[in-house]
Amino acid sequence: MKVETPLLVPVLAALPVCACMVILGLPAASHGYIVAFRTLFFVACLLWLIPLTLLQRAMWRREWSWLRMGALLLPLTYAMAIVNALLGQSLGISLGMESGYRWASLARGLDSCWLALIAFCAVHAVAVYYLSLQQARLHLAQAQSAARDAELRALRLQVNPHFLFNSLNAVSALVSSQSNREANRMLACLADFLRATLTHDGRHEHALADELALLDAYLAIEKARLGERLRLTMKAGPDLLGTVVPYLMLQPLVENAIRHGIALLSAPGQLDILVERAGERLLISVQNDGHKRLHEGSGIGLANVRQRLHHLYGEAQEIQAGWRADGRFHVQISMPLRSMQAAP
Amino acid sequence: MNIRVVIIDDEPLARLAVEVRLARHGAFELVGQFGDGASASAGIAALKPDLVFVDVEMPGKSGLEVLAVLPPARRPMAILLTAYDSFALQAFELAALDYLLKPVDDERFDEALERARQAFPYRSGSRAPALAVPPALHFSVRAGSRTVLVPVAEVERIEADGDYATLHAGGKTWLMRESLHKLAMQLDPRQFHRVHRSSIVRLDMIAELRPLTNRDAMLRLRDGSVLRASRSYMPALSEALQQHAHFSTQQSTDL
Repeated sequence: MKVETPLLVPVLAALPVCACMVILGLPAASHGYIVAFRTLFFVACLLWLIPLTLLQRAMWRREWSWLRMGALLLPLTYAMAIVNALLGQSLGISLGMESGYRWASLARGLDSCWLALIAFCAVHAVAVYYLSLQQARLHLAQAQSAARDAELRALRLQVNPHFLFNSLNAVSALVSSQSNREANRMLACLADFLRATLTHDGRHEHALADELALLDAYLAIEKARLGERLRLTMKAGPDLLGTVVPYLMLQPLVENAIRHGIALLSAPGQLDILVERAGERLLISVQNDGHKRLHEGSGIGLANVRQRLHHLYGEAQEIQAGWRADGRFHVQISMPLRSMQAAP
Repeated sequence: MNIRVVIIDDEPLARLAVEVRLARHGAFELVGQFGDGASASAGIAALKPDLVFVDVEMPGKSGLEVLAVLPPARRPMAILLTAYDSFALQAFELAALDYLLKPVDDERFDEALERARQAFPYRSGSRAPALAVPPALHFSVRAGSRTVLVPVAEVERIEADGDYATLHAGGKTWLMRESLHKLAMQLDPRQFHRVHRSSIVRLDMIAELRPLTNRDAMLRLRDGSVLRASRSYMPALSEALQQHAHFSTQQSTDL
C-alpha cells in the first residue's frame, strides 16, 4: 500500500504531542532554570521529529511491517532521549549547577522525552495509515466507476453499427431498383440521424426531448423503408420533455418492435410510444403489433437496454417485456423521475 | 424570364447533384459553376446571377465569405449548402433564402426553389408578385370508395408519408396523395406552419416547445403527440408563436 501522504500529516501529528509537553511544563513556569531545561528538551524533541518523520516515511514507502518499524523506532527514540539527557547535563554544567557529567544517572528521567517521541511516532503512523486507506478506497471506487463507464459505452456502441448497416443496405436496394427519390429521401434521413448522434458528448443520460428527437430521426428512416405499413404514435405527458433518460434507450426497443414485429406482418402494423409520469416515477412504454411465435428469442436490443438501466439505476428501475392479452408486444420501463435542470 | 442560377461548390459531384435536380425545373437556367471562392466572386460579378447555390465549407474562401463581401444590394438570392450544420445563424444574418443539409432531400430542394421563385418577383421589381392562392377551406380525401371533405379548421397537423400526406383531424387520420409542400401552399400561413421536412402543424395545437442542443426543437401538441421541429424552420416558427396569442408561455427558452 504505497500511497504518498502530504507532509502536513507529521506536522498535525506533532501538534498534540507538543501541546502535551507544554501543558506538562506549565506548573514549573515560575522556576527559571526548570523552564530553561524544559525548553531545551522541547526544542531538541522538535528537531528529532524531522529525521523521525523522514525515516517513518521511508519505511512506509518500503512497506515495512509494523513489528519491524517498532523494533527500529523504539531503540532509536531511546537513543534520541539519551542525547537529550546529555544535552540537559551540559546545560546544567554551563549554568554552573553541575560540576561534571554524571554518566550513571543519564538513563534516569528519560520518561518525558522518550514518551513524547514514541507518542509522535504512533500518532504519525496511525494518521498515515488511515489516510492511505482512505485514498486506496477512493482509487478503488474510481476504478470501479471507470469500468462501469467503459461497459456502458460499449453497450451503447453495440446499438449503432447494426442499424447503420441495415440502413445502408436498404439504400443500396433502392438504388438497385432505381427508386432514386426514395433512395435520396432515405439518405437524407440517415444523415439526419447521424448528425443527431454525432453531436452527442458521451454522457450516458440526456433529456427526454433529445431522446425522442433521436428516435424520430431513426423512425423517419424506418418510415421511408416501410411506408404505409408502419403506423405510429409518439406521445408524452405534460412537462416531461426535460426529464432525464438514458442515451439511446428507446431506439433499440423500437428497432426490435419494427424488425421482429411490424416488418414481418403483411398488414400495416401499429407502433405506440408513450411516456407518462406516475408520481415520482417515469413510465415509458413501447407497444407494437406482431406475430407471437416470431418474436421469441429476439433479445439483443432488450438485453442491452436492461443492462444499461441496471448499471445506471440499480434496483430503482424495472423493465418488463412480453406479449399481452391484446396480442401486442409490450415493453414497459419504470425509472426514477428526475429533471434535467436539477442535474446539469 | 428565367431565374439565372450559379452553383458554387468545390466538389464536382456535389455540383452535379444540384445541376441534375435543377434541370427538372423549367423556370431556372444554369449560367455558371465555380469550384472555389475566388473564381466564384469574379463569376458573380461578371454573370450577375439571380440565385446562387453556395457550399459553405470550401478550401480558401468559404461560401459565407463569398456572399459577405458583396454589397447587400448586389447580393444574389442565396441557398446555402452544408454537410454539417453549424452555420444556420450566419446564414440568416446574410439573409440567405434557405439552407440545405447534404445529402440533399429532393423535397427540401424543391421547396427551396419554390421559395426562390416566390421571392424573385420582389427582387427584380419589374413584375407584380404572383397572387397567392386563397387558403383552402376543405380538403377532399378518399376514404375507401367515397370522398370525405375534411374542414381545414379541424386539421391539427399533416405529416409526409412518402408520396402521401397524412392529415390528423379530430383524432382521426386521413391519407392524401399530395406532397406536403403543395398542401402547405393551400394553408393559411397565420394558422399553419411547416416545422419539419415532414410535418405541418396548426400553431394553436402546440403546447410545449423544448429547444435541443443542436438547435432543433421538440414540440409537444395538445393531444400529447411529440414531434420534431428542425432548425431551418425554427426562426419563422418562433416568430409565429410569439405573435400567436394561444401559445402558453411555459416553454423553456434556454437555447
